[in-house]
Order: sequence, then C-alpha cells, then structure tokens
Amino acid sequence: MNNLYDIPLEKPLSDEWLNGLLFTFFTLHMVFVLLTIGTAILSVYYFLDSRWGGKTNELRLDKRIIRIFMAHKSLAVVLGIAPLLLIQVGHTIPFFTAVNLFAPFWMLIIVLLIVSFISFDTLGHKINVHPDRHLIFGIIALFSLLIVPAIFVAVLVTAENPDKWLTIIAHGYKLHGSLAYLWLFRYLHVLGAALVFGAAFHYFFSTKDETEKKSLLKWMVGGILLQIFLGIILYTSLLGKADSVANVFLFIGIIGAALLLWVIYLGMERRSTLNIWAVLTLLMLILVPMLLTRQFIQDKNFVPFEKQLQANTHAYQKAVQAYNQKALEKYKSEINVVYDNGETIYWKSCAFCHGENMDGKGSEAGNLSISPEDLTTVRTTRQYLHTIFTGGISGSAMPYFTVFDKYKLESLIDYLDKNHHVLSLPEPLPVNISDSLIKQSQKIYTETCTQCHGIDGKLTALSKGFQPPPPDFSVYSLSPERAFDIITNGYPGTVMYPFNNLPEDVRWGLVKIINDKRTK
Amino acid sequence: MQFPIYEVPYLGNGMTIALDAVLHVIISHGLAIGAITLIVISEYFGFRKSSNDWEHFAKNFLKFTIIVITGIGVVTGVGIWLITSALAPNGIGSMLRIFFWPWFIEWIVFTLEVVVLLVYYFTWDKWIGERKKQHIYLGVSYIVLSVSSAFLITGILGFMLTSDGWPWDKSFLSAFFNPSFLPQLLLRAALAFALGALFSMAFLLGTHNVNAFRKEALRLFGKVFFISFSAMIVFTWWYFSVVPSVFKTHAIMAILTPGFSQRPEIFYAMNAIGVFILFLIALFAIKGSVSFSRILIVPALLFCMGFVTEFERTREFIRGPYLMPGYMYANQVLLDESLFLEKDSMLKNAYWYNTITDKADIINQGSYLFSRNCSACHTIGGINSIQNAVKGRSEDGIFVILGHTHEMVPFMPPFSGTEQERRIMARFLYQLANGRIIIKAPSRFAPIKEDERK
Repeated sequence: MNNLYDIPLEKPLSDEWLNGLLFTFFTLHMVFVLLTIGTAILSVYYFLDSRWGGKTNELRLDKRIIRIFMAHKSLAVVLGIAPLLLIQVGHTIPFFTAVNLFAPFWMLIIVLLIVSFISFDTLGHKINVHPDRHLIFGIIALFSLLIVPAIFVAVLVTAENPDKWLTIIAHGYKLHGSLAYLWLFRYLHVLGAALVFGAAFHYFFSTKDETEKKSLLKWMVGGILLQIFLGIILYTSLLGKADSVANVFLFIGIIGAALLLWVIYLGMERRSTLNIWAVLTLLMLILVPMLLTRQFIQDKNFVPFEKQLQANTHAYQKAVQAYNQKALEKYKSEINVVYDNGETIYWKSCAFCHGENMDGKGSEAGNLSISPEDLTTVRTTRQYLHTIFTGGISGSAMPYFTVFDKYKLESLIDYLDKNHHVLSLPEPLPVNISDSLIKQSQKIYTETCTQCHGIDGKLTALSKGFQPPPPDFSVYSLSPERAFDIITNGYPGTVMYPFNNLPEDVRWGLVKIINDKRTK
Repeated sequence: MQFPIYEVPYLGNGMTIALDAVLHVIISHGLAIGAITLIVISEYFGFRKSSNDWEHFAKNFLKFTIIVITGIGVVTGVGIWLITSALAPNGIGSMLRIFFWPWFIEWIVFTLEVVVLLVYYFTWDKWIGERKKQHIYLGVSYIVLSVSSAFLITGILGFMLTSDGWPWDKSFLSAFFNPSFLPQLLLRAALAFALGALFSMAFLLGTHNVNAFRKEALRLFGKVFFISFSAMIVFTWWYFSVVPSVFKTHAIMAILTPGFSQRPEIFYAMNAIGVFILFLIALFAIKGSVSFSRILIVPALLFCMGFVTEFERTREFIRGPYLMPGYMYANQVLLDESLFLEKDSMLKNAYWYNTITDKADIINQGSYLFSRNCSACHTIGGINSIQNAVKGRSEDGIFVILGHTHEMVPFMPPFSGTEQERRIMARFLYQLANGRIIIKAPSRFAPIKEDERK
C-alpha cells in the first residue's frame, strides 16, 4: 500500500458528511433489499405450499405476496444508487478495487437482476395459468436474486480489508480463509434479516386470515432465531475488531431482537394481532444499530488506510502537476486541428515518416530499416494509392488508414498529386537510349528481373509472398531518376538488391522498360 | 493507475458498456418517457370520451411498460454504472467527483419518478370515478419528473463531448451547461416521443382491440410520431452543428467501422432507407391504415432503434481520444500524467503491476503496457483485436507508429511510457501478431498466467 494513491480531484463533501449520508441511504436501501428478498423467498415457498399442499383457491397467499414484488424491487434498486454514489466518492480506492477484483461477478449482477425481475413480475400475473412453468421460472428467478447479495457482500468484505487484497489475487480472485468465512456468514445474516422483514411486511399487508398470519409468524420467529445464531458466529470473527462504540450498538440491536421476540410471544399467547407500529419500531431498533455496528467496524479499517492514501495522492499529484500547463497547451492546439482535408492528414499522419518535403526523410525515418518512400517520385494511379492506403504494405512500417473514410483518403491523394503530381505517368528518360540497348536490357529483365517482377510488371507467384512485396509496375512507377537509383543501389531492407554491376546505360534501359509497363 | 485492470475477453470493454447502454437508452427514452406520456394521454382520452377502449389500452400497455422499465430499464441504467465501476474506475470515479451534485439530485428526481410511477400503477383500479382526474395528474407529474431526470443526465453526457471551458476553469457550471447541452436535450426528448409512439403503435397492433378504436389510436400515434420524428431530424442537425469539427469529421467512420469506411454510400443509403420507412409508417398511421402499419412496424422499430444506436455510437466515438476532454484520455491516463509517464516510466508507477507481477518478462511487461494504453478499445484476440491491427507491420514500424498514435489516428490517445517501454510493447505486439507469443483472451494482464501463455 506504500504508493497507492487516490483520484486527484477534490471530494465534493467532507468525509463526515459523506459517511453520514452513506449510512442514512444505505439503511433505507437495505430495508427494501430485505423486503425484496423476503418477498421472493416467501412467494416461492407459498407457491409450493398451495400447489402441493392442496390449496388451490383463487386468492392464494403467494399471488398476493408476489404482487408487491414490483414495488419492493424497484425501490431497492433505486435506493441503492445513493449509497453506491456515496461510497464511490467517499471510499473510492477500497470500493473500486474490491469491485474490480470481482469484476465478472459484479457485472453479472445486471443479468441476474433482469432475469429475476422479469420472471417474478410477468409470472406473478399468471400464477394460476401455467403452474409448472411458474415453478421453473420462479426457482430460476429466486436463485438469480439470491446470488446478488452474495456478490455485494463479497465486495464489501473485500473493500473493508485492504490488507487482504493480495491474498485474494493470489488465490485466483477468490475469497479465502477467514475472509470467506466472514463473507458466508454475513451473506446468510442478510438472508435471515430478509426473512424477518419479508414475513413482517406480509403479515400486515398480504394475509387475509388467522391461519395465514400464524404461518407468517413462524417465519418471523424462525428468522429471528436464525439471526441470533448467525450473529454469534459472526461476532466471534469480529473479536478484537469491534470497539466499545460498536459493541454498544450491537447490544442495543440484540435488545431490540429480544423485545421483538417477546412481543410476538405475547401476541401468540393472547391470540391477538400484532401492532404494526410496535413491530416497525422494533425492526428499526434492530436494523439501525446493527448497521451502525457494521459502519463503525468498517470505518476502523478504512481510516488509517485512507490517511496513507491521501499522503500518496499529494505526492503523486505533485509529480504529475509539473506537466499540467504543457498538457493543456498541447490539448488546446490539438482540438483545433480538423482531419477533414488531405493537407492536415498528410502533416499529422504521414509526415513523421515521409517528411515535411515528402521526400521520405521524416523525423522517424532513421528508426526504420526500410526507409519510407520518397513520395515526390511516385507516379501511380488513384486506385493503386487507395489500395495501399487501405491495406498498408505488409512487411514494412506502412500501416493501413481505413480509420479515415473514403472522402478523406481521396482528399489525401489529391493533396499528394497537387504537390508532386503523383498521379501522372512517369517522365521520359533524361538520357537517350538506342534500340539495341533496349533489347539488351529487355534480355536482362526477362532473365533476372522476372523472378520477382513478372514480364507484365505484375507480381510473380514468388514475390507475392515477400515481406514487403515489390510494387506492381503496371500501375505503379517512379520518376526515372529514382527508379535508376533503386536499380543501382537496391532498396535497403527489402529483397531488391543493388545491380550496380550492370553498365549504366543498361540500367537506364531497364528504367525505360519498367516505366513502359504502365497500362493505366 | 491506482486500480487493477479487468478486461472483458472477446467482447472488449467498450462493447460491453455499449450493449448495456443502448438497451438502457431505448427503454429509458422510448418507454419511460415516450410510451408513458402516451399512456397518460390515452388515459385522459378514456376519461374525457368515457371510452373503455382507451382506458383498457392504457392500462394494459402500462402493465407491460412498467415491467420492462423496472425490470430492464432501471437495471441497465444502474448497469452502466456497475460496468464502468469495474472497467473504467478512474474515469467514472473522476466524473462522480465533478458531477456529484447533479448526480445526487438526479438520483432524488429519479427516485421520485419511480415512486410516482409505482403509485400510478398500483392506484389505477383504486382511483376511479371522481378521483380519476387526480390519477391523470399523477401521470402528468411522472412525465415532468422523467423529463427533469433526462435534463440532469444530459448535462453530464454533453460534458464528455463538448467540455469547452472546463479544462481551464474547472467550474461546475461551465462543465454542465456546455454547448451541446440544449440541442442534445431536445434531440433526446424528440427521440423519446418518436420511439414511444412506435412502441405504442406496436402494442396497439399486437393486442386485441376494437377496429374503430384501433384506427383512432393509430392516427393519434401516427401524428405524434410524425411531429417528433421531424423534430428529431432538426435537432440532430442542430446538435451536430455545435459538435467541434475535430470530432464530427469521424462520424461516418464511427458508424461504418474501418471495415466499411471506404463505402460511405452504405452509410447514406441506410440512413435514407431508415428515414423513408419511418416517414412511410407515419403516413400510413395518420391515414389509419392498420394493415400497412402492421407490415411496417417491425422494420420501423428496428430502424428507430438503429438510429438510437447510431446516435450513441457517434457520440461516444467522436469524442475521440478523451474520456474527459482536456483532463483524461480514453484509456484513463490523465493528460498531464501521460507526459509524466513518458519521462518517468509507466511500469515503475504502476502499483498493481509491481505488486502482483513476479516476473518482468516481455509478456508481462508488454501485456500490462497494452492493458493500460490500449485495452479501453482493443482486445487480444476478440473484437477490434490488436493482432489484426498491427499484423503485417515490421517491429520497427510498430515502434514508430506507437510513438505517433495520437496524431496519426486522431481518436487514439498517445502511448504513455518511456521510449524503452515503447520498444518493449512494439516487440510484444510484433511477436503477438506473428504468433510467436500466444495469449488466450486474458481478462487480467498482469501477470499473464502460465496456462494463458503458449
């Protein structure tokens, strides 16, 4: 962690405010998360119960339960945005790092939620129509939904333990040892709470008679007992981490749970319906202190880590800031350059190799073993240039430029032609050559050059495989001087080697033969 | 960078975000704003004309719409965020700090929007008779909220394209009310109603309805579509007129991709066909021709969604090499940081590379440099594969090109790292393209594990 640093932009609020808001909205979010999960579990359970328990009446409990799923899940998602925003701003490094370590699972959340939501909501409308189909989709939906909190818990457990990040990576991006244990029981603790909240909600809002109420009370009591059991296990894993403040809140939460159990017991004794306000108050009395306990333990891990981060951020920012002015100037000059004309494209995309004068002597020419072509000497067709621009020249540095659309490449060709008439036919030879010399040169061309250049000037079977291949003389030629130069000195870096052993006038003869091969 | 790196194998990071985002835009614009507005209008007609047909249509369409909005629209919206947190943490993290307040206010508006929508849905059968009027007002307040939430998010999106004064003054207002804010907002609104009208037509034509009513409703949706689609064309023109030429000039290539960039006629033809079909369905719908509308509705919807995709793709693509103009490149390297790394070394300053890589060989060094510099857009062996991009180039050619990516291809960021690191990456890419290094679509670039190498 010695040189890990934070994003070098000011936080919009102080850490205290960010944490306070985070806690508030996280609590709100959790209420609806618990209701969503609880509703999902109960709806599937009561579906099974009514399907195989012989209850097939029209107004079944599962149908009434699932109807509200739409509202719960929507609010759970929407209310999750604020804590996500706040934790990403307030605890940027731990949170994003944890997310990244579980990136594939984290992104899978989107798919899981869509599958689950669509299945629950559409099938919720048609429970009686296709019971078997509903069963399959219901189970898939529930299964998808239950994976989501497991991923969130894994991310939070990871974010809270920066010292374990390298261990997680070493174990193939998986939680391991005590962290895995902590994750499992925290996840189960969320499910337990969901049962209690879901059962309480539907006890008041979905049940129609005493039997149904009694059945949901069983879920509530079962849930609370499960929570106590899981809570004890979780607490043992926190020993030493929970300070006195955290312990006080934990204690308040436990008292809340005991009171809730007692209220339910009284209700059962007296056969009276529970009071909604009493239950709601007690549930909040459990949830809020429990989440506060979580928050305090989390902060204890975060504070020293983030202090170190801050110091590192300043150091890195200082090193980088020295370049700020230069970067802005560069940016300002760049955003005014529009690549919509051949001239700009040449200067920006070609000149560093082919040179300011198009003579192939650009600033990078020295770094290339095959020197860039001297464009002032090129005599070719529009079509052939376009082919080179869109395909590059394999085996050389010359890339393809399909990143520019056709109009731009055409305009580049026009620009080259305007400056160095690259689309003309090659000029006549600067020397006079007799017919007999042409015959002599022709013989040499046929015997030697056709290995690679073909009698018609096109590529041969052999030369097609060269890296880079030779040009096609039927559409591409060079000024006579340049062609003579290449025949004499070769083209370094390619198969074309120097033929300076041939008499000078024979070489001029070869130039003529080659340049006469232009059919277009 | 201060974060570890994950890349989606094969699909690539950009495409992953794009798939989710386009789905979200289609639903959030077309259904959440457009369709629900027409549902409220239909409900109003049902009330004013005491028509059961309008009332039934509105209610059934709402049921379908709300399931899709809350099940897919909302989730993919949050999904954009979930994906960027995993794939571009430095980018989204920085955006969140600058736009914390609009995002926070947007969240409040959005929450209200969803609450009102749920109340609107759950009270449909309860607020009847005298209270029907209130129910319609509730629908109207939903529309106001949904447009406000579009207002807030548009400022943030426009910033990424036309940041204008922000890189210099770093003030929130110049970032939010950037030059493309208003045209983009109006364009999105027009798009929402156009798409909403098409979805309404599709639902109308695909469900059981009385003939006379079907014709009447079709005419209404046809008119709405005609007006909003015409507006869409005007606002598109306005929007593109404020986008800086430096970005705009690559629009055709952005849509056609390098594979078809030399056939611009495809671009014009497809757009022309799309516009033609959409005006055609508008005319048939206004005439009340059920059978012709039925034939055209599927291609019309596809073309309209195609236009959405085209617009978003262009918007994302033409902002070029910047994730935040004047501040951060698309590969999450800051503009000034890039100059610093060029002098100092990228690998030396890479916390995660140094902590988890035990072997400084060319595969590890090269793949990490690739991941930081290129993996925002390129993959190894998947979409926009880097092997294909450098195939055929000589090693010294790759080295030279890497030094000029930013000026040579104006929408590519520069290579950040020292000359020595540029040489390492050139060698790595050269060997990769020529099969001397084989890496199986990795999702983590540092270190490349033994079973991912060959």
